[in-house]
Amino acid sequence: MASTPGQIRPWRHLAAFVAIVAALYALVFFTGDGSPTPKLGIDLQGGTRVTLQPRTETGAEPPREQLLQAQQIIEQRVNGLGVSGAEVVVDGSNLTITVPGQQGEQARSLGQTAQLRFREVVGGPYAAQQQPQQQPQPGAPQPGAPPANPAPADAGQAPPTGQPQGMGGPADAVERDVAPVAFSRPLQNPTPPPAPPAPGPASPADPRLAAEVESARQMRQSSDPTVQETALLTLDCNARDPLRGYDDPTRPLVACNQDRTEKYILGPSFLEGTEIAGAQAQQNTTGVGWVVSLTFESQGAQTWGEYTTNNVGKLVAFTLDGEVVSAPRINQPIFGPTQIEGQFNQADAEQLAGVLRYGSLPLSFESSEAQTVSATLGLASLQAGLIAGLIGLALVFVYGLFYYRVLGVLLILSLALSAAIVYPVLVLLGRWIGFTLDLAGVAGFILAIGITADSFIIFFERLKDEMRDGRTFRSAVPRGWVRARRTILSADAVSFLCSAVLYLLAIGQVRGFAFTLGLSTVLDLIVVFLVTHPLISLVAKSRVFSNPGLSGLGEAARTGAERRRVLAAAAGRSKGA
Amino acid sequence: MAGVLNRLYTGTGAFDIIGRKRVWYIAFSVLVLICIGSIVFRGFNLGIDFTGGTQIQFPATTAAAPADVEAVRAVYERVIGHEPEAVQSAGTGGAASILIRSEALDASQLVPLKQALFDTFQPIGATGAPELAVISDSAVSGSWGGQITRQALIALGVFLVLVTIFLAFYFERSMALAALVALLHDVVVTAGIYSLVGFEVSPSTVIGLLTILGFSLYDTVVVFDKVKENTRGLLGLTRRTYAEAANLALNQTLIRSINTSLFAVLPVVALMVIGVGLLGVGTLADLALVQMVGIIAGALSSLLLATPILVDLKMRDPRFQQQAARVAARRAKAAGVPDPADGAAADTDPDLADDAVLAGELRKERAMAAAASMPARHARGGGQSRGARTAGKPARPTGKRQR
Repeated sequence: MASTPGQIRPWRHLAAFVAIVAALYALVFFTGDGSPTPKLGIDLQGGTRVTLQPRTETGAEPPREQLLQAQQIIEQRVNGLGVSGAEVVVDGSNLTITVPGQQGEQARSLGQTAQLRFREVVGGPYAAQQQPQQQPQPGAPQPGAPPANPAPADAGQAPPTGQPQGMGGPADAVERDVAPVAFSRPLQNPTPPPAPPAPGPASPADPRLAAEVESARQMRQSSDPTVQETALLTLDCNARDPLRGYDDPTRPLVACNQDRTEKYILGPSFLEGTEIAGAQAQQNTTGVGWVVSLTFESQGAQTWGEYTTNNVGKLVAFTLDGEVVSAPRINQPIFGPTQIEGQFNQADAEQLAGVLRYGSLPLSFESSEAQTVSATLGLASLQAGLIAGLIGLALVFVYGLFYYRVLGVLLILSLALSAAIVYPVLVLLGRWIGFTLDLAGVAGFILAIGITADSFIIFFERLKDEMRDGRTFRSAVPRGWVRARRTILSADAVSFLCSAVLYLLAIGQVRGFAFTLGLSTVLDLIVVFLVTHPLISLVAKSRVFSNPGLSGLGEAARTGAERRRVLAAAAGRSKGA
Repeated sequence: MAGVLNRLYTGTGAFDIIGRKRVWYIAFSVLVLICIGSIVFRGFNLGIDFTGGTQIQFPATTAAAPADVEAVRAVYERVIGHEPEAVQSAGTGGAASILIRSEALDASQLVPLKQALFDTFQPIGATGAPELAVISDSAVSGSWGGQITRQALIALGVFLVLVTIFLAFYFERSMALAALVALLHDVVVTAGIYSLVGFEVSPSTVIGLLTILGFSLYDTVVVFDKVKENTRGLLGLTRRTYAEAANLALNQTLIRSINTSLFAVLPVVALMVIGVGLLGVGTLADLALVQMVGIIAGALSSLLLATPILVDLKMRDPRFQQQAARVAARRAKAAGVPDPADGAAADTDPDLADDAVLAGELRKERAMAAAASMPARHARGGGQSRGARTAGKPARPTGKRQR
């Protein structure tokens, strides 16, 4: 074989690497917000993470469409908390809510099903003036008093006490089953909770919150017209609404619409969103624009028909979690499919149809994991991870120097450059695909140190093999590289395969770990091809570094030399190896 | 000792690993049986992620009452009405924290409990002032761990299938099979050690277990790569048997495997020491522990288990058996001739990975077979025959022999 394979122009490769690194850092500093920090997960910066697990009757995967719809609704609620940086992501078939910072406690109650209700419009719409809202004084918390928890009965995860929906207190026991049923096929009835009963962070059992809700109810859900008037005046549509999702369906309600532009006084709910069979956006056949066509289940159609018969000409409000989504006028008694007309464009109509179809979350969720990490603990974790990484690197450095002498410097350089390339990639991924680095991810990087060092070792041991066969260091490099390359590629392929499978199939923290491991593997290849190999080629050409005593190759070189002698003696004038 | 190290370093010292395969088999079988027994009868010590429950953690540095375990217990009992499952202090120095574990608490219990803990101890956070927000908590439903485990098992299954396909393409069937056996061994042994020692199993542990797979295979791939190289064209040669070629490959990659494992373990050890020292418990320590156990198991199995199995599988093939017989026959004939180059066998190995060299070797062997009517010669150089030239490396295989 000619020795052309494995012969490279080292400087060219190194230049390519430098160009890549420069490009990455340029992207970090000159695109986006230019801040050179990766996105940190809540376990590293403090905050709350809630994992919501959908519950379906069969235990089957819920349809993706429903999951995305639920994500949207919960996202709106999270934004309602007014915390920046909060997000809701779909993770497998789970939804994960992350709320950074210290205001995340309420995030635990976001997984409850959104209630779509039909209420009579008693007064309104009134323009929403911006007025400061008088915050009601929170009452004394009553720990352990279940009636003080206005828990929306999370279907499927109804607390063992069977809290009726929207109970204001013991005096107000209204038995009403609001099991949310998916409107699109397949029909899903939430299952009763399995033993052991799941903890219910999804119920707003926080006494302070409960008190806040209670006082808001007294104000805004009063049947007394004068109180309603006052409530209407004091209601600030831009403030956080404590009643979001906690409105009592049996009482009137003073509410804003979703755009925060109008206020309404509404009557009690006469029909629940669960009675909707389907809703679709269609083009208006009789005029311009779009309409939403609505169909009800049999019982709901009956109720709806009766109500519309008695209230022709009036407005009817569709409320979602206590906010008015839409308040169309009833033009005629409606039995059967209903058409809602308005100044809809296609997007509006589709959105309204979506809300009507899925308004009550299409799935019932169980909070399978809720974690609040204090900023202190987050910082401690981050520090611990970094320190562990540095110590791990230092140990590898020391051992590398001890074992590989001067060439250990190349190992260190390779690792350092890997780190130099990993960091900007991390920042950019955080910016582009929202990748957050969590503690498991940090651990993934630390473990990847071993993989990166390993590529180096494979190559190096190959060189030793070649030299044992009697080659000089210089001629061993290209040949050793050709063979080491194959092993490095296949070994890294296995490692990457493992990470990819984990990333695609696993949930929770596993993903962060798998992602960083896979990322490191890919970057490791770049470093080995563009840095390690060229550097060793350069070293091989330099007299000082390739001194066997210095390079830790003395033994192999001696063996090789001996072997050459043996062969020479044996083969006399023959070709030799 | 220095001799052993030297033999390790240069990779020529023949540690007879394959020859002792019965020892390894017995040792590994016993280990695996113990592990399986422990898993079946003892089970695992499952963390709260699997059993469901609440965990509360806050810094041990306090402005009010000193947060010792008993005091914390008392506060818990006062608020909740019964004892918590466990209260422990974790970490050291400024990073020390108190950890409470209990059955699942709902928010109506959790919020007052956090408040009471804060009022009693006034834990100090990073800001230096006591604040409620420094109390961390996590509530987990029992199904969460189950869900993670289920996903992990699915991932494990898919990974095994993909890896089998990969190996079957990359290596031959027997290699793929041997690698899989080693892989399963690693998983069983790691899980078994967890069960035996009673380490707590958390979702992080399950993750760690999966990543070991990658590492263990990685190790095996490297060893098999070398075996593959050493056994090229083996059937046409009578230089050595498959077992010997595999053993040589093992020796050549021995130091590399040991080094790899060491290089991989070093950061893990750092992770573990720091994770336990600074944080006490949690993701870092869990991950590090399982990785450490797994890396050691993986290194051992790729060296001592995978290759012997591979050899056994190979030797069931009659072609390799015949080849081994030919090698033995040839050696028996050669045994009459004193061989000063004995022991230097590895040194005078032709480089079989080089196509040109390999072709030459095969030609030579064929020529020797063709000359079988002649008194046999051993083709190795260094033999003291009467001629000036040895039969070791003829310039061309002429088929002629000097007498």
